[in-house]
Amino acid sequence: MKLCIISLHEPQGGARRLSGPGIISGKNVRARRESHPAAEQIHGSKARPRCLGVFPRHRLTLGRSASVLTFVCMLFSSLSHMSWAENADRQPKAEDLANHIFPALGSPAARRVPVEWNRFYDHAGLGAILARLHQAFPHLTELYSVGKSYEGRDLWCLEVTAKTVRDPKRKPGMYIDGNIHGNEVQGGEVVAYTAWYLCHQYGRLEKVTELLDHNVFYLIPTINPDGRDRWFHHAQTANSSRSGLRPYDNDRDGLVDEDDVDDLDRDGSITQMRVKDPNGRWKVHPQFPEHLVQMAAPDEKGEYTLLGLEGIDNDGDGQINEDGAGGYDTNRNWAWDWQPNYIQFGAQEYPFSLSESRAIADFVTSHPNIAAFQSYHNAGGMILRNPGREGGVSQPEDERTLQFIAQRGEKMLPFYRSMIVWKDLYTVWGGEVDWFYGARGILGFTTELWTQRNLDRSGGASREDEAAFLKYVLLNDGVVKWHEFDHPTFGKIEIGGTKKEWGRTPVSFLLEEECHRNMAFTLYHADQMPRLSISEVEVRKIDDDLFRIWVTIENSRLIPTRTSQDVRNHIGPPDVVTLSGANVNVLSSGVVTDRFFKRVEATKRRPERVELDSVRGMSAARVQFIVRGRGNFAIRADSAKGGQFSTERALR
Amino acid sequence: MLHGNHRRAGILPGSKSDPKSLREGRLDAFPASANPSLQRSFSCLLAGIIIAHALDLASAGTEYLDNSRLEKELKSLATDRGDLIRLKQVAETIKGNSVWLAEIGTGIEEERKRRPALLLVAGIEGGDLAGTSSALFWVRQLADGYTTKDRIRKLLDSTTIYVFPRLNPDAADTLFSLPKRESIVNARPVDDDHDGLIDEDGPEDLNGDGLITWMRIEDPEGDYVMDPAESRLLMKADKSKGEQGQWRYLLEGKDNDHDEAWNEDGTGGVNLNRNFPYNYRFFAGGTGLHPVSELETRALADFVVDHPNVGIIFTFGGVDNLVQTPKGEPGGKRPPTTIQEGDLPFYRELGKAYREALGLKKELQGNSEPGTFSDWMYFHRGRLSLAARPWSQALQVELAKTNAASSKPQATHKDDKRAGDAQPESKPNAEKAGDASEEDKKSDAKAKPATETRNQEERAFLKWIDENAPSAFLPWKRFEHPDFPGRKVEIGGFAPSATTSPPEKLLDEFASKHAKFLTELAEKLPRVGIRKAEAKHLGASIYQLVVQVENRGYLPTALAQGVTTREVLPTRVVFEANPDDILAGAKTSSLGVIDGSGGMKEVRCTLRAKGTNKLGVEVISALGGSVKTTIDLQVGE
Repeated sequence: MKLCIISLHEPQGGARRLSGPGIISGKNVRARRESHPAAEQIHGSKARPRCLGVFPRHRLTLGRSASVLTFVCMLFSSLSHMSWAENADRQPKAEDLANHIFPALGSPAARRVPVEWNRFYDHAGLGAILARLHQAFPHLTELYSVGKSYEGRDLWCLEVTAKTVRDPKRKPGMYIDGNIHGNEVQGGEVVAYTAWYLCHQYGRLEKVTELLDHNVFYLIPTINPDGRDRWFHHAQTANSSRSGLRPYDNDRDGLVDEDDVDDLDRDGSITQMRVKDPNGRWKVHPQFPEHLVQMAAPDEKGEYTLLGLEGIDNDGDGQINEDGAGGYDTNRNWAWDWQPNYIQFGAQEYPFSLSESRAIADFVTSHPNIAAFQSYHNAGGMILRNPGREGGVSQPEDERTLQFIAQRGEKMLPFYRSMIVWKDLYTVWGGEVDWFYGARGILGFTTELWTQRNLDRSGGASREDEAAFLKYVLLNDGVVKWHEFDHPTFGKIEIGGTKKEWGRTPVSFLLEEECHRNMAFTLYHADQMPRLSISEVEVRKIDDDLFRIWVTIENSRLIPTRTSQDVRNHIGPPDVVTLSGANVNVLSSGVVTDRFFKRVEATKRRPERVELDSVRGMSAARVQFIVRGRGNFAIRADSAKGGQFSTERALR
Repeated sequence: MLHGNHRRAGILPGSKSDPKSLREGRLDAFPASANPSLQRSFSCLLAGIIIAHALDLASAGTEYLDNSRLEKELKSLATDRGDLIRLKQVAETIKGNSVWLAEIGTGIEEERKRRPALLLVAGIEGGDLAGTSSALFWVRQLADGYTTKDRIRKLLDSTTIYVFPRLNPDAADTLFSLPKRESIVNARPVDDDHDGLIDEDGPEDLNGDGLITWMRIEDPEGDYVMDPAESRLLMKADKSKGEQGQWRYLLEGKDNDHDEAWNEDGTGGVNLNRNFPYNYRFFAGGTGLHPVSELETRALADFVVDHPNVGIIFTFGGVDNLVQTPKGEPGGKRPPTTIQEGDLPFYRELGKAYREALGLKKELQGNSEPGTFSDWMYFHRGRLSLAARPWSQALQVELAKTNAASSKPQATHKDDKRAGDAQPESKPNAEKAGDASEEDKKSDAKAKPATETRNQEERAFLKWIDENAPSAFLPWKRFEHPDFPGRKVEIGGFAPSATTSPPEKLLDEFASKHAKFLTELAEKLPRVGIRKAEAKHLGASIYQLVVQVENRGYLPTALAQGVTTREVLPTRVVFEANPDDILAGAKTSSLGVIDGSGGMKEVRCTLRAKGTNKLGVEVISALGGSVKTTIDLQVGE
């Protein structure tokens, strides 16, 4: 809508500047204004400093009311020294908008990479956003591919962190991806928005600066670029192109992908087919006959039979659309709790048999600093956490942490609910969120973006409510009216329904909101990643050259350095605190189990190296060293997910 | 882990084996002949201690091959028999070794890929060198047989044989380099003990004999006691009998990282035969980061996915479902835990045939493990999947028993003679006797050997080793170990791979027994044929077609598990007609499963034939091959 306004505005300004032959006269301009309410509005607001501009704006507002005449008379008398022709010539300048923007709260002020967040981008588009961000913010970003899709598209990752503040490889990392299901596109925009926002707000907002100083983000807008591009560039439904594009024999006839849907009416969307049928069980919808149908009552005669999605029997086997492109589920191909196709549809032949999921698994495995995970799907407004199956692994402590974070998310995301996959949705074997937690011990969520509840901001919209939204708010953008078609098998049929953009993805003016709110939730999550410091080193003399050293390692965030799942299964290495000094000999050491250094569990071997299972959230771990010697010594804390810290002290 | 049951643990280097072998030059030491340079270095190192024997049997045929010898052999076979054997490198390991696939069959690839196929996988765990040798033996036998034996020619003209002779070449390497050790994992660096350090504490050849063997340390905290009936063997202390541990039993080496664990994190790695999806164990030692995480396992998995014509799998490795018939249960349990009852009879019958081929008179203890390739192929891929150890302690002990029983009348049994040949002197035994220390006598005195039923098989095996491959067990010798000051430490025991690979001189015997079974097995694949394909003229241009498809093979066109998993496509009949001309029936009809041994299914179709008097029909079976025929459409009377 914004774009539309600008395009209306510009030709007028240009015309005025040219003031040559063929320019639009003032009258013509006014006439156009009157016929375009939107144009009126912008002119009105832009021109407000000039009194002229007030006129059409007020006129619009007051419209047909009885006071119009009075008002116009008043105005006319106050402006009577001007001629209408003069007024009409006085136009706002077509200034560069960039110089006349006042940011609303929430968005960055100066946009070094202008991106409109009320539309979608294909794989190359998302790549271009990342590339532009990388160009504009080289000190904050690294851009690379973590692997390739079946069709050879890159899985682009923008790594965002303050590169010169601490070692990026050792900062607690948050991994965020989107769009594992090809049709669930807006995850891509949310992830790209996150990258865009972080880059622009670094140094401006205290919290973002702190996040990028202490943490690193691995942002992969789409991990199913084949499915994504197919959804954008081929006729689809809201639900199709979920799969990747590796050919698969869905109907077990020895042929692969031989009978996909067909865009019979060539309108770019796959909608429904219906045929008039005296024995049909469907009838015209009484309120929205243009694109809906309604089931006849059990004792009522119907007029239509539904024939499914647009398509023909491409392979002559008597079935329609039974073996489309791909036909599996990349989010059932992950190694944890994986089960084969016959138990879990879409699992494929073995865990990580797909290049996309495998590339991500390899990436995550080779980044042991990743301490938080987020994946974006659609739809339904759900903040989902593991386990995917009844009885799946979930350590109580980890579950409490996840639940708490998700509940914070519910506050940030209206109409979203915190849920457990198997219990509140359905059983998933071999899902991504389960692998991150089960196999890698990383806490994270799968968010089902967008809910139609957002349309009327209520508990839930009926089919009719949605149709009303389409009709009155979207002016039927998204509707394919029933229209006739000559089908090779079915004869005269009708095709109609809603376009693929309807139902699972937000409408343009709600997309930016979705991007921001969901990003905000992940920034909260990221901010809960372990943040360690060596908060205290106390040296106490026992004897001449004999000292007791107490070290406190503090974690000032909610997530532990190693989750319960990690510790129990030895997924990552332990956190290690070491003491070293040229003239210092460590005689004994141990983990302190109480707040006051009274209870110490002695280290069995290598006393200079104390291993800690984990530094728990909002908590501290304490270590004691008994040393003999003199001079300086260094304490070093090394945690795979918490980072590396050291400090020097002297023995005295 | 190493202190545990070292043979069953199955994850760490050496855990699977208690070596058998050698001292250099000896043929029961592997590849003396296979690797002259190794032999040379051995000789240098060990001159004086070792008696280098004549390599008398090396030329007799089957040998243990290192990776470069294996490659050479495979390449020369593929060159000599290019019409029949194709060689392909399917993966390169982390260490840079090649994983080879040999494909045996005639015709172009497209034909071979549609034929019933058997897949043989060997060397999946690495230490089982005999599997590789047996696989190669069979490939040679097939290549020779194709020109000389009708039966083989017939088989190979209608069947494709795929062979992975050595899936884990990294592990095989460890038996051909110094010091020689048995490993069952590949070379991927793994932090086995989860201390944040990688591969920091592997075994060492402390006594400089070129072999990683075993250490036993006298220690009341140990879990082992001496076998009262055989002082060279230890066995687990039985606390329920009031036995107190006396010995620790560890792989030869030092505690390099001073963590009071010995050799707990050596080079590598992942056991490829624990790296498959069915019943996979996350976080267990040597299983990898996730199923199919390794280059080698992925190459194999991708191969079977890309070759759905494989109907039978035979794996040489540490698991075994042939010496003992596995358990079965009714289908329908998800996920399943045992073989479906419907498939069990085939496993039972093939197990019988296997034991007969090997000369076994009774069932032995089978072995199953989590995450094996063979289980994956049955439980998830729905194929008949057999697995056997190419040779084992139990097998050898049992065969020796059988032989002894049957050879009683004649004192000159073949094996005895061989043993005599290979071992003209009994020095190791002498050493052993000399080593029989006070403890031996003590424990002998304390226990009652006659009533000791534990360790029976181990004792019998050691006896067999003494007689047939004495260099495969090294006498225990005192060693001053810096990690155990003041304690009695002895180094010795089974040489690397001594319990998993037979002396080289016996290779031919076991390889040929297996080859016989494998050939018979390949003949048991399902094979579809057309029993009848007729058209009946119904009038005008309308015909009724009847096609009867039979299965001339032994196995059904899909096992029950193949149906359950849906991974075996149904057998289909395809009429080469325009779908619009088919008035009843379908262009493509699915027949479901056709039983073996003459099972038959029929398909009918009503056709309108315009301007043609012939109709092509093709029968396509996922596992049973495909056949084509033409039906004559004649105007009837």
